Amino acid sequence: MKKKALLRAAAVVAMVCGLVWNAMAEEGVSDTEIHIGQWGPQTGPAAAWGSVARGTDAYFKMINAEGGINGRKLIHHMFDDAYNPAKTKAGVKELQEGTGMFAWVSGVGTAPGLAVRDYLMERQIPWIGPSSGSLHWIDPASKYLFPIYPLYYIEAKALVRHAVKDLGLKQVAIAYQNDDYGKNGVQGAKAELAQHGLQVVAEVPVEVKDTDMKPHVMQLRKSDADTVLLWVSPVHAVKIVGTSKAMNFTPQWMSTSTCSDFPLMMHISKGLWEGVIAATFAELPDADHPLLQKYQKDAYGKFAAKDERWGLFYYAGILFAEPLVEAIRRCGQDLTRERVVSELEGLKNFRGIGGEISYGPLDTAKAYETRQGMKEVFLVKCLKDGKAEKLSDWMAIQYP
Amino acid sequence: MLDFLQMLVSGVAVGSSYALVGLAMVIIYKTSEVPNFAQGEMALISSFFTFMLLEQCGFPYYAAFPLALLFAVLLGFFLEFTVLRRAKDPNILGMIAITIGIEMILLGLVSWKFGADPKTLPFPISPYDSIALGEVFISALEALTVGVALVIMLILFIFFRFSKLGVAMKATQQNDTAARLMGIRTNRILMFTWGVSSLVGCVAGLLISPITMQPYMMWDPLLKGFAAAVMGGMTSLPGAVLGAYLLGIIENLFGGYVSIEFKSVVAFAIIVLVLCIKPSGLFARHYVKKV
Repeated sequence: MKKKALLRAAAVVAMVCGLVWNAMAEEGVSDTEIHIGQWGPQTGPAAAWGSVARGTDAYFKMINAEGGINGRKLIHHMFDDAYNPAKTKAGVKELQEGTGMFAWVSGVGTAPGLAVRDYLMERQIPWIGPSSGSLHWIDPASKYLFPIYPLYYIEAKALVRHAVKDLGLKQVAIAYQNDDYGKNGVQGAKAELAQHGLQVVAEVPVEVKDTDMKPHVMQLRKSDADTVLLWVSPVHAVKIVGTSKAMNFTPQWMSTSTCSDFPLMMHISKGLWEGVIAATFAELPDADHPLLQKYQKDAYGKFAAKDERWGLFYYAGILFAEPLVEAIRRCGQDLTRERVVSELEGLKNFRGIGGEISYGPLDTAKAYETRQGMKEVFLVKCLKDGKAEKLSDWMAIQYP
Repeated sequence: MLDFLQMLVSGVAVGSSYALVGLAMVIIYKTSEVPNFAQGEMALISSFFTFMLLEQCGFPYYAAFPLALLFAVLLGFFLEFTVLRRAKDPNILGMIAITIGIEMILLGLVSWKFGADPKTLPFPISPYDSIALGEVFISALEALTVGVALVIMLILFIFFRFSKLGVAMKATQQNDTAARLMGIRTNRILMFTWGVSSLVGCVAGLLISPITMQPYMMWDPLLKGFAAAVMGGMTSLPGAVLGAYLLGIIENLFGGYVSIEFKSVVAFAIIVLVLCIKPSGLFARHYVKKV
């Protein structure tokens, strides 16, 4: 009898402990799985950037094929938000409250990201590597948000510095998309020019819906600019360069990482992209870089869809997920969100297939140092065959 | 002055592509009183079909372009025959909803088949070479577009005015029942209308695609073409063309002299104004239906 009571008591204790253990276990993590969410436009106007999410997917599949991380497989939940912030928010809520994500990775676009930032931060869910170089990710800084993509602001600074110091060009104009992305570029360009005692000679806004670029080019041409920064979408950039050629206006064109996928740009511009200088944040597609080559062989080679191209944005999807994977690895068996945050904060000079990534314990007064992961870019020039010539080494640039 | 002239020329150039889309819409509207919102996507799929022939199947230009036009005509026939004709007791609102449905299906089809990366259509002339008229520039492609738009307008004008089929199309629009009683096969007329309209739209698409092509490329030309057609009176072919040129010129002048940020919006503001003052449009005769 006594023995039976003892057994019963033991069973009750075991059950209670089990319940408590379950309650303590982190959302989205089990002994065998880690659930990670991501949005990315597969349809709609920004679908060309959909390859980012597909790159991350192949990367996770590669890791799983190699045995996962500390015995756990990465379960990747990606959905198509069509670059529509309302859809991003609905999709994130559905996955978070339905399946339960441990963390979120990448996510294309400033506007879609802004739509869910507060939701994720209030719930203390880590979000690593938003795919845009917006100032919003560090201003204000958040404990659970770890941006990687170098700021558009520092890309503009790097390009203007090269134009003024190395090429001796002084008349810098900028055509910018009339939103956050474009305006960050204008800010950076102006800040760098001011350091050299110069000013922009023309600022021409381009609306996303504009298709005819002649009025824009006329303004640029009137300013007598010898350098024009293009802080617009790839299609607009091609139209501006093409319209300018037709109007006999041929300054030195410079552009952001968004337009640095040279094989694509060369193709859609029918060769006009030759000579354009761009900032970029990841190794070149054909670089002699062992890790990049491994990804090309084991992630892209084995898990990419048939028509997928090994381009910058595809492997950017890997780059944006590398720090999260590293942090999960460092956590060992004890995988919690707080632990991941502290491991990420401990990352110093981490280098995958992009520039160096460092974080630190959150200090809102030093948001750039403690929360902006990558602070360097390098410059490339487009050659005739769509290949890139490296114009500089990695350049670390300070903000502001 | 030079700037002003350049803006005028640029306005006419961009207006030409609006004009072609506007014309395509007017042709269908003239016979069925339905604004066809699938017009842009019909041109889109024809353009991507051409892209496939040229880039993926290696056809020469002289084969690919006629095949594309044929494809466009058949597409028009097909949509009218399989979708629109099947609508039971359609009212105008229902028909508009159907065209929007077709639009979405075609857009989805193109996105699925060709992906989202921007592309460019191989073309015999470079879209970036230009012709200089003194200090004023116009790209060779734009000059071609202006020429093509004018020729198509002329052909359509002659067709509607003097050919039997054209007159039958007009009759079908004005009184469907009476036309049928006079021995006109109105069903066939409608099918034919869709074919012709699809053909004109396809030409517009082919003249836009040499710069860049992507699934959403026809949205802006469609809206502007529609706006131009509304401004011109929706049933008037010359009206749509003049409306389109006016729109192109106003956009360019406004962008140059007032504000480049609101360039695209000003067109629509003017249309609202025109419709308030002259609801039937600038160039259409105002029909009053007697009840």
